[in-house]
Amino acid sequence: MSGLTLQGRNRLRLFGLLSPVTLLIGGFFVAPLLIMAAYSLAEPGMYGGVEWNFYPDSFGRVLGWADGSNEEFDIVYLEIILRSFRIALLTVLVSLLVCYPVAFWVSRLDARKRNFFLFLITLPFFASLIVRLYAWVLILRPSGFLNQFLHHLGINAELDLIYSETAVLIGLVYIFIPFMFLPIYASVEKLDRRLIEASQDLGASRWQTFRKVILPLTMPGVAAGSIIVFIPSLGNFIVPSLLGGAKVLMIGSLVEQQFLAARNWPFGAALAMLLMASVLVFLLLYVRSLSRAEALEGRP
Amino acid sequence: MLDLITRPLRHAVIGGTLIFSIGAGTAQAAEELRLYNWGDYINPEVLTRFTAETGIKVGLDTYGSNEEMLAKLQAGATGYDIVFPSVHMHDTMAALNLLEKTDINQSPAFKNIDPAYLRAKSDPKGEYCMPYAWGTVGIFYNKSKVSKPIETWTDFFNEARAGKKVAMLDDMREVLAVGLISNGKSVNTTSADDLKVAQDWLLERKPLISAFSYEVVPMVQSGDVVAAQYFVGALMYVKQDPANLTYVIPKEGATMYQEDMCVLKTAPNKANAKRFMEFFLRPEIASLNTIQQTNGTPNGEALKLLPAELKDNPAANPPAEVKAKLQIFNDLGKDLKKYDRAWTRVRTAN
Repeated sequence: MSGLTLQGRNRLRLFGLLSPVTLLIGGFFVAPLLIMAAYSLAEPGMYGGVEWNFYPDSFGRVLGWADGSNEEFDIVYLEIILRSFRIALLTVLVSLLVCYPVAFWVSRLDARKRNFFLFLITLPFFASLIVRLYAWVLILRPSGFLNQFLHHLGINAELDLIYSETAVLIGLVYIFIPFMFLPIYASVEKLDRRLIEASQDLGASRWQTFRKVILPLTMPGVAAGSIIVFIPSLGNFIVPSLLGGAKVLMIGSLVEQQFLAARNWPFGAALAMLLMASVLVFLLLYVRSLSRAEALEGRP
Repeated sequence: MLDLITRPLRHAVIGGTLIFSIGAGTAQAAEELRLYNWGDYINPEVLTRFTAETGIKVGLDTYGSNEEMLAKLQAGATGYDIVFPSVHMHDTMAALNLLEKTDINQSPAFKNIDPAYLRAKSDPKGEYCMPYAWGTVGIFYNKSKVSKPIETWTDFFNEARAGKKVAMLDDMREVLAVGLISNGKSVNTTSADDLKVAQDWLLERKPLISAFSYEVVPMVQSGDVVAAQYFVGALMYVKQDPANLTYVIPKEGATMYQEDMCVLKTAPNKANAKRFMEFFLRPEIASLNTIQQTNGTPNGEALKLLPAELKDNPAANPPAEVKAKLQIFNDLGKDLKKYDRAWTRVRTAN
């Protein structure tokens, strides 16, 4: 060690500190991604798996081109992708509308109640997701608890929610709400109340205070929450299957179908790659808007 | 296919292993047998009795579809002795050289097996695998919620036209099969025109279908869904509530499935596996399984031991003229792709 210069030692230390992370990301993220990319360009094998011939048609098929004989141009897969985006965006929107006010309310509770509430938010994770979704089937079906409850209140609205897009939305919002709530709560809690008072003292209306002070300061939480909710909603396949009756097909179900029933691994891999690529675009937009906002504020 | 019961379990039981063992008394040299079967597709009592008689511990892992099982084996899963592929998967696995020759057909009790069930083209004499169980996929419905007894797919969709909910399976080939059968086509067609006919027929009825799902049993029991495409194992639930529930094979015809019991090339306990197959050839054991599963058995002697409610039930053991109308799936190789797009079309349409 004594032979090393200070710079050399620093470099060694840096290497030592970075290598576990690099290995982790390389081994568990980059390598599987490369495998998937390779599979997406291979020819589908007869019994699942792939044959190692270059075969770019899977990507064309996503866009609607016929793959092999007897197929016609049909944009069915593209329609599913668009629908998945719509449902994922709606999920983000609804959970945002629910979580934002609640986060403010919780941040004003005293410490004990607040901790209890945070505990409640994470409580569902103790039970299996499948079990909780089955519970929603029992709630939403026509003879289910929701209608029984309404009936008790004297409302005889036979709500018919199960197996619809609404049911899928309810299920997705239900699952992902904690992921929206926690980042928003973190940024709301950090919010300096004196800034709100200052804004009001200086004559800003409530709306102006919200628009110019509160919202920008809590924006990082909102953005983080939205992304954490958007990405898994986009690829979810269990909710559309259980609550949507597999009629509201989303891209996750399509990928599953390709790997199992349809035995077309390359097409499944191609779909997954496109899904990831589009998520990446969203992330890049997010990062760019963040850095632009910082540049505007004149921060480094 | 018979995903049906197993699907709900699949999510919950993935990777779960149940070990059936009797006492700890005979736990010397750990004799073992590892089964890899569809979820809920064997009577646990059969395993318990096998262990009691032989001292061999039986482990059971489950899967939800042929493809899942094959994918796992192809990915290098080892340690399993016996698997239960459907007939077309039996052929696929033979082509991939995954199966061990057992000469089970040399066992004296093999004469109990009706040769009509030696369906696998790769194994016409039963040198590798033995037929395990079979059943049909038909309509499971709630008698108290429908306007008249359902006998055909037309009746089924008429209930939906009257505003009731009906469901079909979340299964590519089973759903398209209904479209094909209703138009007099083979369920193994590779003609794009045939598939187009089936697809259009289903698209026309798509607004009537509430869901594609395996988890319909509680919905039919409660009447929220009045009728659902389901497999003969539904008789298990009919037995609990015969006043309201029933299962029928539609008049147009239906698909049937059959699974075979096969030993893997990589099996660590081949001798025990063969012992289990011979154990299962016994009529009293095969019938014990069939009674619990409420499906069909290829074992002619076991059939005689079934209670009348099962043996004489045309839904479980259909008469010859109905049986003649049953079609079984073949492996389609690359033509499967055509089914995929038709199926995706049907699922996506509004």
